[in-house]
Amino acid sequence: MKKEFSVLPLLAVLAVVLLILPSCKQNNAKLEYGLSLDQTLRVNLATEPPTLDWNKATDTTSAFIQENIMDGLIGYSFDEGKVGLKPALALEWSSTEENRIWTFKLRKDVKWSDGQPFEPYQVLDGWKRLLDPLTASEYAYFLYGIKNAKAFNEGTLEDFSKVGIKVEGHQIRVELEKPMSYFPYLLTHHSTYPVRVDVVNKFGDSWTEPGNLISLGAYNLKVWDHDKAVVLERNPSYYGEPAKTQNILAYMIEEPSTAINLFDSGRLDILLTLPAGELAALKKRPEYRESPILSLYYYGFNVNKAPTDNLLVRKAIAMAIDKKEITKMLNGGQQPLSGWLPVGLSDHSGEVGLPYDVKKAKELLAQAGFADKEIPKVEISFNSNEDHKRVAENVQAQLKTKLGINVELKNEEWKVYLGTLSTNPSPMYRMGWVADYPDPDNFLNLMTSESENNHTGWVNEKFDKLIKKAVSLSEKQARKDIYTQAQKILIEEDVAVVPLFSSVSHLFVNKRIKNFPVNVMSRFDLKDVVVQ
Amino acid sequence: MNVKRLSKIFSILFGVSFFAVVIGDWVINSTPMALTLFFAFTFFAMIGLFVVEKGLVPYTFKRILGSLVTLFVIASATFFMLRLLPGGPFDKEKTLPPKIKAHIEAKYNLDKSIMWQYGDYMFGLMKGDLGESYKYLGRPVRKIIGECLPASFKLGFYALILSFLIGIPLGVLAAAKHNTWLDQVSMISAISGVALPNFVVAALLVYVFAMQLNWFPPALWSGPLYYVLPVVTLGVRPAAVLARLTRASVLEVISSDYIRTAKAKGLSGKRILFQHVLQNSLIPVLSIAGPLVAGVLAGSFIIEICFAVPGMGKHLVQSVTNRDYPLILALTLLYSTLLVFANLIVDLLYAYFDPRMKLS
Repeated sequence: MKKEFSVLPLLAVLAVVLLILPSCKQNNAKLEYGLSLDQTLRVNLATEPPTLDWNKATDTTSAFIQENIMDGLIGYSFDEGKVGLKPALALEWSSTEENRIWTFKLRKDVKWSDGQPFEPYQVLDGWKRLLDPLTASEYAYFLYGIKNAKAFNEGTLEDFSKVGIKVEGHQIRVELEKPMSYFPYLLTHHSTYPVRVDVVNKFGDSWTEPGNLISLGAYNLKVWDHDKAVVLERNPSYYGEPAKTQNILAYMIEEPSTAINLFDSGRLDILLTLPAGELAALKKRPEYRESPILSLYYYGFNVNKAPTDNLLVRKAIAMAIDKKEITKMLNGGQQPLSGWLPVGLSDHSGEVGLPYDVKKAKELLAQAGFADKEIPKVEISFNSNEDHKRVAENVQAQLKTKLGINVELKNEEWKVYLGTLSTNPSPMYRMGWVADYPDPDNFLNLMTSESENNHTGWVNEKFDKLIKKAVSLSEKQARKDIYTQAQKILIEEDVAVVPLFSSVSHLFVNKRIKNFPVNVMSRFDLKDVVVQ
Repeated sequence: MNVKRLSKIFSILFGVSFFAVVIGDWVINSTPMALTLFFAFTFFAMIGLFVVEKGLVPYTFKRILGSLVTLFVIASATFFMLRLLPGGPFDKEKTLPPKIKAHIEAKYNLDKSIMWQYGDYMFGLMKGDLGESYKYLGRPVRKIIGECLPASFKLGFYALILSFLIGIPLGVLAAAKHNTWLDQVSMISAISGVALPNFVVAALLVYVFAMQLNWFPPALWSGPLYYVLPVVTLGVRPAAVLARLTRASVLEVISSDYIRTAKAKGLSGKRILFQHVLQNSLIPVLSIAGPLVAGVLAGSFIIEICFAVPGMGKHLVQSVTNRDYPLILALTLLYSTLLVFANLIVDLLYAYFDPRMKLS
């Protein structure tokens, strides 16, 4: 008898392999890169940081790492949910001439990770590098308020000593072009951190690699395994209280559901984002955390294109959109906005904004001459994305049922969309803004006539003047009043935009993690985090 | 020593180094660079010697020249098509002040004329300089590829081995047991393998083997145990394709006259199958091996994303979204090169296995 094929031996081998495999499962107490589980916080960064060069980075992923390996002159405090400032490299600061001249007294006990002392001129080095046209930093305009800084960045001034920054002993004196009450906020941003120019010159572009990078924050950069993970290690010579957890292991897992699988199998402690589609289920879990973020989601009107060149039409549309319906549909904790400033910003005022009033909206349309003739189609454009599409479809339905306006939706790929916005925006377009610093100016400045982010074509001199005036004031109530006045012009009188809602960040925090910071600025200062 | 013996020696060395690479990777979780290079060297030496032995030198030379022209055309076409794409690399949500944008464009020579940029790019390419990424600041494209390609290659390499190990025996088995339940089961699984999208297979495997049975990690790329699920996911489709093709090819050969002769001579079924049928039926299978190898080695965007494999696939998609011109160009060229040369090697292997083939 001839035996030809038999599947039995194959099955036997397979069975043995499958039996052995579970026993060689990785020992969980030991992690990759020689880290131990009970001393490591494992977080998902989602993407590779585009750069760790803090003068050049513009994204939140890079900022996450930078804010933990470095400190600026000033830091944020989030006591009782309120955003405030706290000393970091600067012990104290003060201003004269109505916030035009600022002095920052620096700490003397700070050491860089290579043991060298931190010196005031290194702050200047950082700012000079940020402003240098050859650095080609996107955030150079952060320092444009400093006297002559803009000229230096634009190349019309070559002598940096003419820029209004001076070292005086252990102090830094900054002279601004014009008074600016929120200037200290800018110094919390990573682009203004001090820089070791000697290190940058020595290593060139690779100065941000582990081993080359010299920093002074609560953590040091230990590993940067590109496209896979970053490892931070506690800085033993940190000037403040040392970090409570030895290591941070930050993975780059793009797909949110993959990250959830890893979280569920105990391989991740923190998820900084959750998939929007699954929020309803994820919200019920005990690991879920949320926090409003200082952000704004709005529709802009192109005031030069029919039919939104007609103020009455714009006003009617703005009054016919029920924002609560949109946030309810999105179900992600978003808060409806009537004014331009997001919830959580101290100057946020719920009183500004047009009311939701369909009857009035219909009257306005009739006034505009559309009582008995059909109003032309309105195009709403947005960048291709599931959530933006849902919002646009909701608005489309609302305008159709309430005002009988036919809305056409147009979506474009992100970069194409950005191109269209700056050249020929639709009558209505979607846009958003996330705070660079927690000050109303950061939001209201968007809509000034000089702003490159104002795609509406709307110009109002009075509005421009108010924004300029508010910047110089330090008295809180006076500023708030001016910003309220400016918002009324923008949203109620001229109706250049319709603010829709401000967003919420959704996180997962493993129960073995204590003190994980959740705040409106999405700043993740990890030094107080405890791993159990 | 004649060429024939030399080529045999190199074939053996190739086999040995192949196993050394695999074992090294699985046991100590890393393959020494020298070993990898040796593996590549023996592979090309084997092919080179074979080319010499068969007198295919002029043919190969002509093909390589033709490939270079193809690659040049691809590089040029990609370069100009990218510039036609709306939206630039430095268009951002927070619109940059014009002067600052100008500084950035000057830094990357984007302010120069397009022909100047083209000349500069081609000149750089000849020196092996692929430029610097616009997105990952200060990271040369060469470095990004160097850091990400090994993971993609490894994933593709194992998936390929797996697909050959499963696909061919399965096809042969189905043909040998033609019209029995074994045949039907194998072919149903093969068709499912072709029909099921990658991400569904990935989700199924992760759910069963990672989340329920807890045998394998659901994602990441930190050692042999982590390779299993992505490799299986990526290997399923090529395995299914190979199985179906092998089966069809074996069935065709089995019904040919010389097999009937062999049967009439009283040769055993096993001997007929392995000695006469298999050798001849693998030739058509070889023809799809080229695109298959290139496709699989290039990795898969979906699988790499599903399993968080730090490979090239992600960059292939995101570089376009980011308008990261140097990275897009480099990746297009890389994959074109892979495809062009995989096809060349397959054609040469064709000549080796099928004496009737005449390459000229």
